[in-house]
This record gives sequence, C-alpha cells and structure tokens, in this order.
Amino acid sequence: MNFQESKNAWEKKVETEIGKRPERRKEFHTSSDIPVERLYTPNSEESTPDAYLEKLGFPGEFPYTRGIQPTMYRGKFWTMRQYAGFGSAEETNLRFRYLLEQGQTGLSTAFDLPTQIGYDADDPFARGEVGKVGVSISSLLDMQTLFAEIPLDAVSTSMTINAPASVLLAMYLVVAEQQGVAWNKVSGTIQNDILKEYVARGTYIFPPKPSMRLITDIFSFCSKEVPNWNTISISGYHIREAGSTAVQEIAFTLANAIAYVEAALAAGLHIDEFAPRLSFFFNAHNNFFEEIAKFRAARRMWAHIMRDRFSAKNSKSMQLRFHTQTGGSTLTAQQPDNNIVRVTVQALAAVLGGTQSLHTNSRDEALALPTEESARIALRTQQILAYESHVGDTVDPLGGSYYIEELTDELERRATQYLDYIEQMGGAVSAIEQGYMQKEIHHAAYLTQREIEQGEQVVVGVNRFTVENESTPELLRVDSKLGAIQAERLAKLRQERAQEPWAKALADLRSGAEGDANLMPLILQAVRSYATIGEICNTLRDVFGEYRPPIY
Amino acid sequence: MDGLERPIRVLIAKPGLDGHDRGALVVAQGLRDEGMEVIYTGLRQTPEAIAAAAVQEDVACVGLSSLSGAHLELFPEVVQALRARGADDILVIGGGIIPDEDINALKNAGIAEIFTPGSSIKQMADYIRQHARTAQLPALASFVEGLDHIGIAVNSLTIAQKLYKDQLGAKEIHHEEVVEQGVRVSILRMGQTEIELLEPLHEESPVARFLAKRGSGVHHLAYRVKDIHAALQAAKTAGFRLIDDQPRRGAHGKWVAFLHPSSMQGVLTELCQPREDRQS
Repeated sequence: MNFQESKNAWEKKVETEIGKRPERRKEFHTSSDIPVERLYTPNSEESTPDAYLEKLGFPGEFPYTRGIQPTMYRGKFWTMRQYAGFGSAEETNLRFRYLLEQGQTGLSTAFDLPTQIGYDADDPFARGEVGKVGVSISSLLDMQTLFAEIPLDAVSTSMTINAPASVLLAMYLVVAEQQGVAWNKVSGTIQNDILKEYVARGTYIFPPKPSMRLITDIFSFCSKEVPNWNTISISGYHIREAGSTAVQEIAFTLANAIAYVEAALAAGLHIDEFAPRLSFFFNAHNNFFEEIAKFRAARRMWAHIMRDRFSAKNSKSMQLRFHTQTGGSTLTAQQPDNNIVRVTVQALAAVLGGTQSLHTNSRDEALALPTEESARIALRTQQILAYESHVGDTVDPLGGSYYIEELTDELERRATQYLDYIEQMGGAVSAIEQGYMQKEIHHAAYLTQREIEQGEQVVVGVNRFTVENESTPELLRVDSKLGAIQAERLAKLRQERAQEPWAKALADLRSGAEGDANLMPLILQAVRSYATIGEICNTLRDVFGEYRPPIY
Repeated sequence: MDGLERPIRVLIAKPGLDGHDRGALVVAQGLRDEGMEVIYTGLRQTPEAIAAAAVQEDVACVGLSSLSGAHLELFPEVVQALRARGADDILVIGGGIIPDEDINALKNAGIAEIFTPGSSIKQMADYIRQHARTAQLPALASFVEGLDHIGIAVNSLTIAQKLYKDQLGAKEIHHEEVVEQGVRVSILRMGQTEIELLEPLHEESPVARFLAKRGSGVHHLAYRVKDIHAALQAAKTAGFRLIDDQPRRGAHGKWVAFLHPSSMQGVLTELCQPREDRQS
C-alpha cells in the first residue's frame, strides 16, 4: 500500500469507529473558524527541500517564519517585560525598582487615561481617572520622579502611549539628558500606534492626518537622534482584546503597519531608514496552536510585504520583531487563581511562536490592577517557562509539525484576503474611517459572547465547573485622593516655572504645527520649559482639531 | 401614549475616559436582540452628558460601563445628575471591572445592579424587564379600571353558594358552565363586589388541579381593563409573564387573559373586559 492508500484505509476504519463512539463535536474549528482536521499528515508537494526554503527558511533568514534570529532563545531568553504603573510617579517608581530587583529585564510603563489622552491631572475631564489604570504624568517633574534612581542607559523602557507619544518620549529624553545619558545610549519603545486606537482602544486625540504626521515626525527624528529607539509598536493586541479573531488580528495589524510605512515614505523618508525600528505587539490567546501559527504567519507575511512591496534592502526592515502580552479578556473574575494556568498556556504559545518580549498577565486583572504578589507570580510564570521547561533549547521546535505548518499557511491565506480587501477600500485609514475594521471586530466579539452564553465555548469557572460563594482575593486600591494631590502640585508648578520660556515654547509649537516643521524638537523645547502634557496637547488640539469617531 | 408596542429603551453609556467598549457594544447588541431599543453614547461621556441624553431619549434604563476603576466616582455622579433632572425613575445599572467590595457602595449610591465579567445578556435583559418597567407602566396602567371580581375555587358550588348567600347575603347574578375551561361558574354580588365561584367539571380542569394542590381558596383576582388586546400587549412589552398571549372568551360575556403569578407577587391575575356582543 502506498501512503494515500494507507491513509484512506485508516480513515475508513476510523469512520466506522465513530459510528459507534462519536467524537466530541461534529466539526472542530479554530477561533478564526478554520476547520481543524482529525489528523495532519505529510503533504508531498510541500515537503520538498525547495518548498521548505521558500516557506520556512532558516532562523534569521528570509522569510523568517522560524524566527528572526539564528539562535533565538539559545542565545538569550525573550525580554521579560511586565507592564506596570498606577497611582503616583513615586508609587510606580517603587514598583519598577521592585520588578528590576526580582529579575525583570525591561520596564513597561502604564499611564493613566488622562495622560494617555493628553489631559493634565487637574483637568475636569480627568475626574475619577487620575492614577487609575496607570501612572499619572502631567509634567517633566513627574517623569523625573518616575525614573529616579533607574539608570536609563541600563534598562530599556517601553511606554504604552499613543496620541501624545511625542510628549512622553520628549520627557524621557530630557530625563536621560539630566542623568547624563546620551540619546544614542537609550533604548525602548513607544507604542505610538494611533490607528488601532481608532479601531479598538479609544485613546485617540487628533484626527488621522495630523496624527500620522506626529508619528512620521518621530520616525524621522529618532532615525537621526535616538537610533536605538523603537519608534512604534504596531499593535494587534487591542484589536484581539476588542474581540477579533486571530486572522483579523494579523490582517488589521499589518494593514495598519502598511499605512504607517506609506505615510513615512510620503513624508520623504527612505524605507531602510525607519523600517528597522518598527516593532509589533501581539496577543497570546487561548487557542494554543492557532496562536503559535499566527506569530509565524505574521512574520512571513511582513517579510514579503517589506521586500516585495516596499523594496526594503536591509534585512532588519523585513524582520517582524514583536512583544506579546497574554490575553486579558480571557481572564475570569470567577476563581481567579485559574487565570495563572491560562496565562501559562498563553505564554507558552508566545514563546513557541518566537516572541522577542513578553508580558504575562496577573491572575486578578479581571477584578482590579494586580497586587504585588499577583504581579510576582506572573513574572515567575515566565521564569519557570524559561529556566525550567527547556522549551527555548532549540529554535522553533514546532516547525515542521504538519498541523502547525498547515495552520500557518491557512492563517496567511485568510489574512491576505483581508489585506487585499482593505487595499481595495483605499487602505487602513480609509477602512477605519468607514468603520470597517470596527464592524468586523464587533461582529466577531458578539459571536464569541453568544457561543459562551450558549455553552458552546466553555469558560471554566464561568459557564461550567462553577462554584458558589467564592471568596474574594485581596485587591490593589489606588488612592482616590491622588487627583487632588496632583492638582496641588500642578498649581505650584504653574506658579514657579519661568513664564517667558514657557510661553515662547508653546507659541513656537503652535506655529510649527500650523506649518510643516518636524514637531519633535518643538515638543522637546516645551517639555524643558515645564509645559504640561495638557498645555502641549491643547495647543495641538487648537491647531489640529479632535477626532470624532464615525457612527456606524 | 405613543404606541403600545414601544420596546424598552436603554441607554448604554461609557462615563469617563475608558476606551474599552467591547463589553458596552456587545451588551448593546445583545439587548437589541432581546427586543429592546438601545442607544449607545460612544466613548468619553461626562455624567452630565449621560443624564441629559437619558432624559432626552426618554429611556427606561441607563447601563454604565467602566473598566478603568473610575466607577466609584463616576457611576454615582450619573445617578445624581439624573436626580437633578427629576429623572430618578430611570433604572441605572452598571458593569465592568468592578471589585465585589465596591458593589454595595454603588448600590447605596443608587445604582440598582452591577453585572461583572461573566454575566450573561439574558440575565441583564431579564433584570431590566423586571425593574425598568415603571417607566413603561403608563401603558398598562392607563387601561386598568379597577377590580372586577375575586375568583374562588371550591369543591362544591352548592355548599359555597349557601355560605355566601345565606350567611353573607350575596345575590347570584349569573350562572354558567364554561366547557373550554372545565368549570361551572356562579357569579355573586355583594354591594360593589363580585365574587366568582369556580367548581371543576372534571379532573382535567385547571381548577381541579388547583384544588388538588391547595384546597379551596382564592384562585385569582380579576381587573377590568378598557382595551384588553392593547392591555395585554402593554403587559407583554413591560416584561410580564403571560399565561394567555391572546384574550379568550371567559364567563359572563367577558374577554379574559391571565398573567402568571410570578409577575404578580404570587397572585394569579386576570385581565377582563366585557364583550360588546355580551348578553347579560
């Protein structure tokens, strides 16, 4: 019997078996509705050495399916980077130093919503929100406190900041300067991905056009002044959290990435000048193999887009480097300790998918911000994966798995279809303005909710295996007086700072925004004069206007 | 009354700066699928703006969502803003990342219920139907004219009639067998009050089952309504559990329809209306 005959015979036998003992479901699907077969086997066309080189290649070589570095975690583990920040700059500074002492290798800053939307802590819109989901930063003073006693040449810092990314980057650079650290010695990332804010995350300020200008100004400034800074982290994470499928996560993220590249090219930058500093941020969700395949498919697609569409020559421009965070929306408020297990499985998927850095969520995040103990368990989860499981001892250990490779291909195929469609709509910005991505995501989110309510999707502890009278864990509380304390500090700052340079800096920023100057140097000047984030953003609001979401 | 079939109107709102609207959007669509009319405010609404929209849109319920931890400040402000506008009959509920220990404080501040992660749309819809109906009630209330009669299930009409006639001085004004219901009915009047005595004709009769379970006693209260079709529709819209979807012929030349005791504090309730072709 040849292979096909043996396989057919086996299938026939199994079909008879199933007549007697049916499988758990009639059909199995991934989160993206990709059918999952009973068994995957070698496929003769695909297993030739030529097909291997074309689709997979070697680690560190085009199309980077198996990883962007030749040795991956045999060289060094992924960066363990826990997102943290709450309350005042003093409190967050303490948490940062605690995490560094515990062996964390990079910082990741969470800002509160007023900071993320460019309001000072004493703005009426900030009421109730100061210090709640991250640290409150209104001026350079707060930023100095946040990084006190943390040498900025020795850590890399990621900042989840988008609409006012230039302002926070400027503050960080001035703090580095004051510490005596040259800008070419600082490294880190700003999220700076405004498109997904319109789609999924909601902390936008300005309309798309001036927002894209702020972003390309950063690309251009950093390529000369801050060469080791990742100028953007193009994020599928929030798209997935908003309810998208894995396919949509890849497709919409890459569509947004293409829009940034085009904006930068249109602003006169050269592809290999800025593309090596583009980075990505993905979600690690529940469907284990689909997630691993997702990372691999995204890498291969990006390599082709950069080489074939944008004619990048520098291999760094073609390498999709990414941060991963485990899926916050998969965590349950019920039986919160179960979340540790969910996070472990998701983190393992990220590692098997070849992530460059990883945040593991804390067990209590469906209830509140993590306590110190929960944050430590989350970090320990990564450390156990790294140091005890030995999953990092070989590169892309699942490469060549019949299932993983077929899933990788299928995810790529389906995501490419979305990309083509978005292209026909005039690209990501146009698709977002028409509410297309938003509607697709919402539709997927609603299907998920219905499947959970109908019990078709099992959520352990929520729709099955529930317990009555759960005990509630200790939760972190943020001091609600912080808003008032910050307001006092701001009043003092406004009185004590030198008025003339402050007024001049804001006037210069205004005329720069009205013209077409690169805004980064002007924002740096404003930050040095102790202009607050609210003052800087309001100056830009006056010139640029504010974004109003489409009604769809 | 503008239309009796008006569904319950709900405003889903995002107070504060939180941008997570997956939950708000999913709930909005879910409640629509449950037959409600849902308006979504979009992101970044002040409590004032939410209250103004709720009043302007004449909603019966406001659903607030926040995942940023600002609920203790912002949810009560919405309730206060509604009160300031004299709209304290609007039901306010909330959801999001809300620790258990905050729920009591929110309830004390006037938020009726909190739905935390894992709550189903069905739970929320049922809750809204049960608690937000005061805003819709004028529809049903405007049809109810008053008590029509008290229905009493008895094992023997003869014995019961003797009691009411001889001891209490009631007068029989009507006597009838309602074959569809399997009952023999005697209607007695005392002053303004009518009593309907019900005796089962056979064991399959609902009244026979009632007697087997509980013995003789008050079986139902009946309220006279103006337009029973419309009244029934209004009751349905307001979320009452109905026994009869359509009015049917009852004793003494009336249209009748029953509401389930679970919607009426444990009392089986009849809505009735004299038929126009009625012959006394």
